[in-house]
Amino acid sequence: MEDITEEKRAKSFWFADWAFPLIVGIMSAAIFTGTYMYIQYGVGAFNEVAIVAMLKAGLDGGSYGAAAAFGASFLFARILEGSLVGILDLGGSILTGLGIGIPAILLSVGITAPLNNFPLALLTGGILGLLIGGIIVLIRKFTINQSSSTFGADIMMGAGNSSGRFLGPLIVLSAAQASIPIGIGATVGALIFYKFEKPIAGGAILGAMVLGAIFPVAV
Amino acid sequence: MEFVTILIKSLIIGGLLGFSAGVGAARMFHAPNTQALGAFRTLGEMNACQGDAASHFSFGLGFFFNAWASAVGAGAFTQDVTHRVVPNWAAAALLYKNKDVSQTIQDPKKMGIAGTIIGMIVVAFLNSTAAAIPEALQVTAVAVLVPAATILIDTVMPIIFWLAAIDAGRRTGFWGTLFGGFAQMIMGNAVPGVVLGILIGKGVDDQGWSRITRIILFAAILLFILSGFFRGFDLELLESFKLSVPDWLDNVHEIIKTE
Repeated sequence: MEDITEEKRAKSFWFADWAFPLIVGIMSAAIFTGTYMYIQYGVGAFNEVAIVAMLKAGLDGGSYGAAAAFGASFLFARILEGSLVGILDLGGSILTGLGIGIPAILLSVGITAPLNNFPLALLTGGILGLLIGGIIVLIRKFTINQSSSTFGADIMMGAGNSSGRFLGPLIVLSAAQASIPIGIGATVGALIFYKFEKPIAGGAILGAMVLGAIFPVAV
Repeated sequence: MEFVTILIKSLIIGGLLGFSAGVGAARMFHAPNTQALGAFRTLGEMNACQGDAASHFSFGLGFFFNAWASAVGAGAFTQDVTHRVVPNWAAAALLYKNKDVSQTIQDPKKMGIAGTIIGMIVVAFLNSTAAAIPEALQVTAVAVLVPAATILIDTVMPIIFWLAAIDAGRRTGFWGTLFGGFAQMIMGNAVPGVVLGILIGKGVDDQGWSRITRIILFAAILLFILSGFFRGFDLELLESFKLSVPDWLDNVHEIIKTE
């Protein structure tokens, strides 16, 4: 890529600023529709269990407040940060903000159509993504070369990563409370994954499920 | 029939996702000159296994199993699908034929094409296998995952973010504590407040009270006021302090209320 000149690069779709809203739009269409899939078929949300669980709390008849506030503030923070540092964080902005926060806001005010209809979900996600991408390119025009701050992105990412580490042990604890066989399965699964240097949350879930299939629990 | 519907929808979603994840990841290597879509951890991890197809592949594979377990158990893919599996597998596929990173994983066009194919396969696989899982397994997963996730969101995450804000400096600690406490009361979870506190505190640390940091603070306060109003926090607040709610405020809430 080094042999490509700056002018050529600015004109090319693959590097241009104007292409950015399109890329975000395509990504957002996919993520928003993933949330549609989760609501319709119970599978397909593109986020961590913990974050999807917030949306689930609203779907199950509770409040959408946590999902809406969490998602919206993440989106807000990431839009600012993304335009300043040059990398829009997918996880906070699109996966959490647009995939969880915006659906939660829509559902809490009674707008269900975009989350009940496949083409409409794609379209809604795409348009919202275009807007987000557009806002970032605009902010970029005004702030680039003006700021050297990352606004604590590293601190938030560090905290995000370390809270992810808690999920493994929490799953084992929660499995042990579900039933003894499931607790044994989760512990052994976590140990196997740990031995092979994989995230222990995955092993704990799989182990719990294997033993849970043989000795089912009633919920 | 439902299986076929899920499969077709998944192929469409996966293709779109894979394309944008591939292009966004390749553009990261040209940031900040080119606005990219991805994550710093993705960039760091891709740099760590740069040039080695096997490293990229096995790195993605570990997270693929994790995503699979999560999708089967709770219907959630984990963020790793977009952050790790698609970018690293697209990289591995391209590097298999050409070892020059500047012509492969740093090229948005090639990464976009490879990502499209991988995204389609990964999403279709995750959705269709998870939907075909027997109910006993899903019941177990829900019984285990939901309590664990609840503790994580309600207690562990707020504390971790809060401690990170306190450790990051006096200013982030101050704003994190202020907004964290209010976020817990207004939004029901302290994390968004602490995140905003870090954003403001660190922004001021790095560049002082500039126009940008003032706008951020103003927007954060606005966010709190609006979400407080829409969640009826103002009414609850007055009632908790044994004060009567003025009629006009009640009326405003009646007008806004949608249910």
